[in-house]
Amino acid sequence: MTVDGLITAAAAVPLPSDGRLTGGVYVWNGGDRELTVPEGARASLLLLHAEEHKAEIGIEIGRGAELSVVELFTSAADAVLHLTQDEASLCRMTALVLSSARVHHTIDLVQRDARFDLGGAFVLSGDDRADWKIDVNHRSSDCSSRSVVKGVASGSAYGRFGGLVYVAPDAQRTDSQQTSRNVTIGRDARVETAPQLEIYADDVKCSHGATVGQIDGEAIMYMRQRGLTETQARRLQIEGFVGDAVMHSAVESVAEPLARIVAEKLETI
Amino acid sequence: MANDTKNIIEEIESGEYKYGFSSKIETETIARGLSEEVVRLISQKKGEPEWLLESRLKAYRHWLKMPLPQWAHLDIPDIDFQDIIYYAAPKTRKKLASMDEVDPELKRTFDKLGIPLEEQMALSGVAVDAVMDSVSVKTTFRETLAEKGIIFCSISEAVKEYPELVRKYLGSVVPYTDNFYAALNAAVFSDGSFCYIPKGVRCPMELSTYFRINAEGTGQFERTLIVADEGSYVSYLEGCTAPRRDENQLHAAVVEIVVERDAEVKYSTVQNWYPGDKEGRGGIYNFVTKRGLCRENARLSWTQVETGSAITWKYPSCVLLGDNSSGEFYSVAMTNNFQQADTGTKMIHLGRNTRSRIVSKGISAGRSQNAYRGLVKVSRNADNARNYSQCDSLLIGDKCGAHTFPVIDCHNPSAVLEHEATTSKISEDQLFYCNQRGLSTEEAVGLIVNGYAREVLSKLPMEFAVEAQKLLSISLEGSVG
Amino acid sequence: MLVVKNLHASVAGKEILKGIDLRVKPGEVHAIMGPNGSGKSTLASVLAGSEKFTVTQGEVTFLGRDLLTLPIEDRARMGLFLGFQYPVEIPGVTMANFMKIAVNEHRKYRGEEPLTAGEFLRLMREKSAIVELDPKLTSRAVNEGFSGGEKKKNEIFQMAMLQPKLAILDETDSGLDIDALRIVATGVTRLHTADNATVVITHYQRLLDYIVPDYVHVLYKGRIIYSGDKSLALKLEKEGYDWLINDYREEER
Repeated sequence: MTVDGLITAAAAVPLPSDGRLTGGVYVWNGGDRELTVPEGARASLLLLHAEEHKAEIGIEIGRGAELSVVELFTSAADAVLHLTQDEASLCRMTALVLSSARVHHTIDLVQRDARFDLGGAFVLSGDDRADWKIDVNHRSSDCSSRSVVKGVASGSAYGRFGGLVYVAPDAQRTDSQQTSRNVTIGRDARVETAPQLEIYADDVKCSHGATVGQIDGEAIMYMRQRGLTETQARRLQIEGFVGDAVMHSAVESVAEPLARIVAEKLETI
Repeated sequence: MANDTKNIIEEIESGEYKYGFSSKIETETIARGLSEEVVRLISQKKGEPEWLLESRLKAYRHWLKMPLPQWAHLDIPDIDFQDIIYYAAPKTRKKLASMDEVDPELKRTFDKLGIPLEEQMALSGVAVDAVMDSVSVKTTFRETLAEKGIIFCSISEAVKEYPELVRKYLGSVVPYTDNFYAALNAAVFSDGSFCYIPKGVRCPMELSTYFRINAEGTGQFERTLIVADEGSYVSYLEGCTAPRRDENQLHAAVVEIVVERDAEVKYSTVQNWYPGDKEGRGGIYNFVTKRGLCRENARLSWTQVETGSAITWKYPSCVLLGDNSSGEFYSVAMTNNFQQADTGTKMIHLGRNTRSRIVSKGISAGRSQNAYRGLVKVSRNADNARNYSQCDSLLIGDKCGAHTFPVIDCHNPSAVLEHEATTSKISEDQLFYCNQRGLSTEEAVGLIVNGYAREVLSKLPMEFAVEAQKLLSISLEGSVG
Repeated sequence: MLVVKNLHASVAGKEILKGIDLRVKPGEVHAIMGPNGSGKSTLASVLAGSEKFTVTQGEVTFLGRDLLTLPIEDRARMGLFLGFQYPVEIPGVTMANFMKIAVNEHRKYRGEEPLTAGEFLRLMREKSAIVELDPKLTSRAVNEGFSGGEKKKNEIFQMAMLQPKLAILDETDSGLDIDALRIVATGVTRLHTADNATVVITHYQRLLDYIVPDYVHVLYKGRIIYSGDKSLALKLEKEGYDWLINDYREEER
């Protein structure tokens, strides 16, 4: 799996030395970094973990600024990402974990009207081990967050998702949604999911849902009735299951190469 | 208001009553603290067989090595386990001569709960025997059960009368190694209930601890063992809706349920221990381990309404060992003032085609913290396991907390597991609408809360459900401006 | 084309079909009617090969082959199409992608080359016109968020794409308003030729105003208790099933 296609497709440039993301698409090239998106700026960022490494990345998104992040794990990495969002800032994020990895995302919504939106998936096969934690902290009022993470574990893979939505006292009118949907394939695969809520304010709209399920038998039957083999039907369904995150990639230009990389990974299931 | 009531009960119960004192009754206690000597002494005083003493000692030795559990979302003050008296012989209830001596505030609460007069007397310590032949009630009750071969007695009695049953099942579902408080309980348990339903017998009535002989004075380390033999059925009620005050601050009970093949057990709890006062002083620490083991085709259903205690730490669980067995957990947990609750369930799917269902309704008011904690685990061989969990939180006021900590751990590809959670508050619109139709805010809140909890309340036996509804309203008094 | 002999089928030990006999020839239209719970949908599912049901007795041949031993997809590829009463939603899988695989599997089965992307798109456009299906729907996930009418149109669209020899339409008219009914029914009629056959399962005469049946069968308690021509459907519409059921009861005695 090569990730160069993503960089080319997005015409991404390396990070500036001062860490200020003022516009365009950047690609992070490893190492611990502190980055900022200045007030009102709009930028995109590719975080590609294609080799085994440890990294800590901190990003501050200024007032009214917008950041789109695509993060991809194709090699065992241990990564910490800490986002701090100022008033009325927006962060859209697509995260795909296609290998063993330890991932910890912390999102601090520190000023009002900040918005965070994550679509993600992990697809694990063989003896992959992935542990993915996402903490979304609503520290101010009127912020919203949405995270949808799909998980597929096959072979003897083990995927763990831990989500926490924290709503501080006085973070009123928080609107938060957290979804974890998972499929296990085969006898030795294992998925653990723990979507948690910790709420200290009363005027909030918080919901979470988690499912672990098998592939929908009715749908398989339906597809077979139209002439697909069982294998085709299953693959199609899993593609559809994780496809959302790819199709609505935060950085639109990389959607296609991303889809190819995911399809390649799905072949190993 | 409800708390004042409880203070009054405290006064009633703590003051040594000058008329009813009987010198014949043992009031003997042993020194504070816990040691092997104390464990031996407890066993000796209860005249227990050697095997039980051995098992107590094993538990004690294991307990010494165990750390205090810290993972719950609770702020637990340091407990000095050497400052507790681990054995006190059953005390006399202070008898009042008539209902007139009962505090009017307490009577008002009873009336609101709709508790029958006789029961009110029993609960507030009026010498019931004088006004109602409770002994005969109990006798009739026992005779009916005996006809069917059902055993329902105190665990101490069971150790003497049915040692082989107790020995076979005690500690089989909750071993002393399970957790800190279960180990402590296994070492020092005072008394509790034992219930055995023979093969194929359908227990003709709800078994209630209230009617059990020797139900009083079971103390702070209660132990309950229920065995439903193959194809039997029983519905068991624990606690009662009336406020209950106990001078023991720490309670660490263990409930074990064995549901044999094709049997069904419904276990309902209404917990209304003293929750502490409005400033968060006092109140019971309730650390309970409840678990049931289901064999093939067995069904176990837990229903709980938790409104009392300063701290609640409790996870009634189902081990679905047998194929086609099923477990249910229905819970309403309400916290007010400075109460803290961390409660939920564990559904452990081991057998094939096992089903579980979780419905949890948390209600937080005042400055309380209320957490749902749950585990749904599907093991490798548990083909076609199904779980549905619904965990809702209702916040009343902006100083309280509502938390949800579910874990789903799935090790089998044929499982279908679903968890949903929502958080809501009582809206101004709802209150305005009710007010406009003539309801007071308090009535409106009671109504809305009961509607919110209805799915769970409807699982309670009828008479209990009505009382529980009123209890929810009463526990909320003073929580809305 | 289709010969069903003494077909018995059960689900979870309960017998639903209790000896069905049916013979369908090319060019024919059959209607199967009957009160709720008589086994109409079960018959359709069993013929399509649903694994929910167990065939306990009887035989079915389709185009000269033993249908009951074939997997679902091979029955489909041979040309047996089931229009589902409740079309299944498949989140994330687009109609276009789904149909492309289906069409090419059918072609492969017949030893034909797969369609190129261009050919396929043309085919989709052409066929979606038959049922006035909004072409935009083909870029959406299969049946997801479709209205009741759209779902049923989508079934007929897929039928047009796959050109089956035998189409079994399970309550394709349920939940449709008059306009959607007309569109769906006209679509079915247009797809009908002298070489293929249609079995329509329905509650109501109104669908049969458009799709005129050669034979009408009444299914009751797992058996075909009466067969007639299209006038039978009209009589049933007017008089209900009671007269037939009563006769049948008497016979049973």
